[in-house]
Amino acid sequence: MSGASANNTRWAYTLFSSLVIGFILLPLVFIVWMSFFSNKILSFPPQGYTLDWYTRAWELSDFRNGFFLSFRTSMIATLVALVLGLPASFALVRGRFAGRDLVNTLLMSPIVVPAIVGGSAIFVFFLEIEFLTGIQVAGSSLGLIMAHSLIALPWMIRLVTTSMISVNPSIEEAASSLGAGPLTIFFRITLPVIKPGVIAGSLFAFVNSFIDLEKSIFLVGPNSTTLQIALINYLEWNFDSTIGAVATVQISLITLLLLITDRYVKLSRAF
Amino acid sequence: MTDTVAEPARGAAPKGVAIRLGIPMLSAPAMILVALGLLLPLALMLRNSLNIYDPAELMISAFTLENYVKFFTDSFYQGVLWRTIWISALSTAICLIFGAPVAYFLARYVGDFAKRMLLIFILVPLLIGNAVRTSAWMLILNDHGVLAAILGFFGYEGELGLMYSAPGVVIGLVSVLLPFMIITLNSVFEAIDRNLEDAGLSLGANHVTIMRRIVLPLALPGILSGSVLCFILSMNAYATPVLIGGPTFHMMAPTVYQQIAKVMNWPFGAALSFILMAVTLCLTIWVSALVQRKYRKWSE
Repeated sequence: MSGASANNTRWAYTLFSSLVIGFILLPLVFIVWMSFFSNKILSFPPQGYTLDWYTRAWELSDFRNGFFLSFRTSMIATLVALVLGLPASFALVRGRFAGRDLVNTLLMSPIVVPAIVGGSAIFVFFLEIEFLTGIQVAGSSLGLIMAHSLIALPWMIRLVTTSMISVNPSIEEAASSLGAGPLTIFFRITLPVIKPGVIAGSLFAFVNSFIDLEKSIFLVGPNSTTLQIALINYLEWNFDSTIGAVATVQISLITLLLLITDRYVKLSRAF
Repeated sequence: MTDTVAEPARGAAPKGVAIRLGIPMLSAPAMILVALGLLLPLALMLRNSLNIYDPAELMISAFTLENYVKFFTDSFYQGVLWRTIWISALSTAICLIFGAPVAYFLARYVGDFAKRMLLIFILVPLLIGNAVRTSAWMLILNDHGVLAAILGFFGYEGELGLMYSAPGVVIGLVSVLLPFMIITLNSVFEAIDRNLEDAGLSLGANHVTIMRRIVLPLALPGILSGSVLCFILSMNAYATPVLIGGPTFHMMAPTVYQQIAKVMNWPFGAALSFILMAVTLCLTIWVSALVQRKYRKWSE
């Protein structure tokens, strides 16, 4: 009797959860499906299937250049986050200093401050610099890279510190007592152990920078829009399967990166 | 021979000091980036919010609360704030109702591998970006979209009217907030000792009683933090209200963007930003205090 009711409960949960997960996933399934429709004006059901929308998306310079600009910007931002984030993570995990919690909070603050507010602040800041010095930062690739490095940095630090905590400090102390310098210790002992965290952190930082909309929207120039901005600009006047093609490429790329990330660090731990 | 033994010992002390002083300094480059890219601009924005807007000169330096007063006396902007608050509260409540059972399901009824895969599926929609996710919802919700086609198949011919409407925006927001809620609650449920539920079951309690009397009180702090997270994210939402809500559906974050980047009224845009953050903070503190008082009564 109680076994039967436990079974019913289980089925109820399974059914309910499938519906909710379906609700989350279904829009993506439909947009991928739609990218292959041959209908000139988007409608359901499809009249046939074609790959033309992918060619069209590639031929639109906004999407093509946007993809490359996004890719390049996110790569550089990830590198910056790596170079700045690795030592910072080391300081946060190994250091015993007053104000460490404050440093940690401040380094995480780019995630906490609302993206639109952070974007507004940096936009006005860049323009005020321009008024004072005449150097154009907003709309330049330098400004964009700086904003994106800021997006990437906290994710990098979060994933690297979690994996650094698992390194036993006595191994580092042993190396130190045998005469190894701090750099040798870092590259020969710490880095190999935290490698999964570094890889996952880099991929996650890249993804979060690549998909950013709310900060980039303030900082892109007229001839240099990132892919996300190109998408919403296009959406303002059009809604056809070109969107589906671009979305499908992005969904595939990011799903792939997330699957790789998950091999190194459980994805749910990043939040 | 004695020298080689003595040398590391002699060298160790200064090196140790250098490392101890050096380690905190390793966070300096990252701190400089955050200071230059976020903290300083925010401080500047707080200062700007006290300035006066001038269409010709952009900004006149001043020390006035005019921009804040303007917000709280103009019924349009109060309407924007109220809409943002109730849309966020509603979306959070829906996420809780639909997310909690999924989180419990993942924590109790699913094997390790399947759970890992399902969590990736739940996270993909979150991490493919607002632009792509929102356009996918536009495809579903618009009057000639997927939903209209499905309903049409069943004979419904009326207008759907979900685009540019509050229900459409809530649907869009729920779809991006649900993953956060599910992941937060999943780790909460996993931390609860399964034996407690089994004990309740063996004493004859049914599932609803176990959930209400055992799981819910234990999970309440986690439910609170998951809800706070969803509420904050929804208060700050930009892409969903802009793309699904359309140009006449005003919420706070799009209004901030409008004022800062389009109108170029930086003082007022700055004031809007700080009002948005302050209201969000106050509401979450207030709700947390309410829930914690209730929680204390419960556990007594």
